[in-house]
Amino acid sequence: MYGRALKPLSIATTVAIVAAFSLVFFYAPLDADQGFIQKIFYLHVPLAITALVGFVIGGVFAIAHLRSGNSKWDAYSYVSIHMSVIFGVAVLATGSIWAKASWGHWWVWDEPTLVSFLIVFLMYATYYPFRYAIEDRERQGRYASVFAIVAGAFVPLNFMAVRMAQSLVHPRTFGTANGGLPGSMMLTFLVCLLAIGLLWVTLVKFELTAKSASGQVKRLRRALDAPAPGGRSRVAPEVS
Amino acid sequence: MRRERAYLILRDQSMGEVHSFGMLGLLAATPALPLDEAGKYVAGAYIVFLALIVIYVAIMATKLQRIEKDLRDVARFAEQGSPGTPGREAEDNSDQAAPGRGSEGPSISDSLAPHGSRGGGA
Repeated sequence: MYGRALKPLSIATTVAIVAAFSLVFFYAPLDADQGFIQKIFYLHVPLAITALVGFVIGGVFAIAHLRSGNSKWDAYSYVSIHMSVIFGVAVLATGSIWAKASWGHWWVWDEPTLVSFLIVFLMYATYYPFRYAIEDRERQGRYASVFAIVAGAFVPLNFMAVRMAQSLVHPRTFGTANGGLPGSMMLTFLVCLLAIGLLWVTLVKFELTAKSASGQVKRLRRALDAPAPGGRSRVAPEVS
Repeated sequence: MRRERAYLILRDQSMGEVHSFGMLGLLAATPALPLDEAGKYVAGAYIVFLALIVIYVAIMATKLQRIEKDLRDVARFAEQGSPGTPGREAEDNSDQAAPGRGSEGPSISDSLAPHGSRGGGA
């Protein structure tokens, strides 16, 4: 059932990504300050926003898991965090490339925006060993959910702290006194954000579908191996 | 310089001629693609993103192949009705070795700690 609407979602994602990248390269004007390098903004920032929102969504699913005890929500939470970690890798890679092109360094340690994102990323990187260090399935899900909730709450707090911090080199684009993006750039950015958001949703659904299929096969094997009510295996009956 | 020259040439030509150039004409007629020093960084960033997606899809394809193989084994097992699913014993052993692997539970959570996908997921 997880695969429902996966096909139209995949098509919508493809169309949105093609439209977004077309707008980036053929519609959005060159930035007066950074020039062509600023095109990375349309990829880097939507990826970062989607990754951070994905972490928070993982926390929300974890709350649903703890409230209901339904392991489905645990799987949702796990896949959301997993996908956001992958997006986080893309954020760090594209950010480093942008930093090198703009500032001449791959990484700047005294910039709060960069370091805070790295802290969030590394925190979520510990989610996997933390989760799989626990053998008992129920405890594993419960502890992972507690981790996801605490870490998910840390993400917006961290974001606000960084916004309040005095930035050294990393620009503040949205909601600043210096003005935001002009209309054409904003439209391009929003389409890019939509496309990357759709990609995240599609990949989450894709992963959930694969996990569900894998789980169904295992369940089927168990059902086939289990003895029937008469005491005989349903798939391996005694041949007389 | 070559790009600028191509742009100047194409600017004087009719749209029909631009179409005949195809993708090359489109690229040449687009002043928003200065593939100089900055261009290689922009290209690098977008290529890294696309590479990550491709790697993810490739890993997922491998997982789907494994699921398909498992499903084929189960189907053959069910059709033949013979004891012992091929590969079942090996999986049982790996299940025991995999941390977080319980005995029962809803099917979706079964796949959270399978062999091979632990931690990686993708």
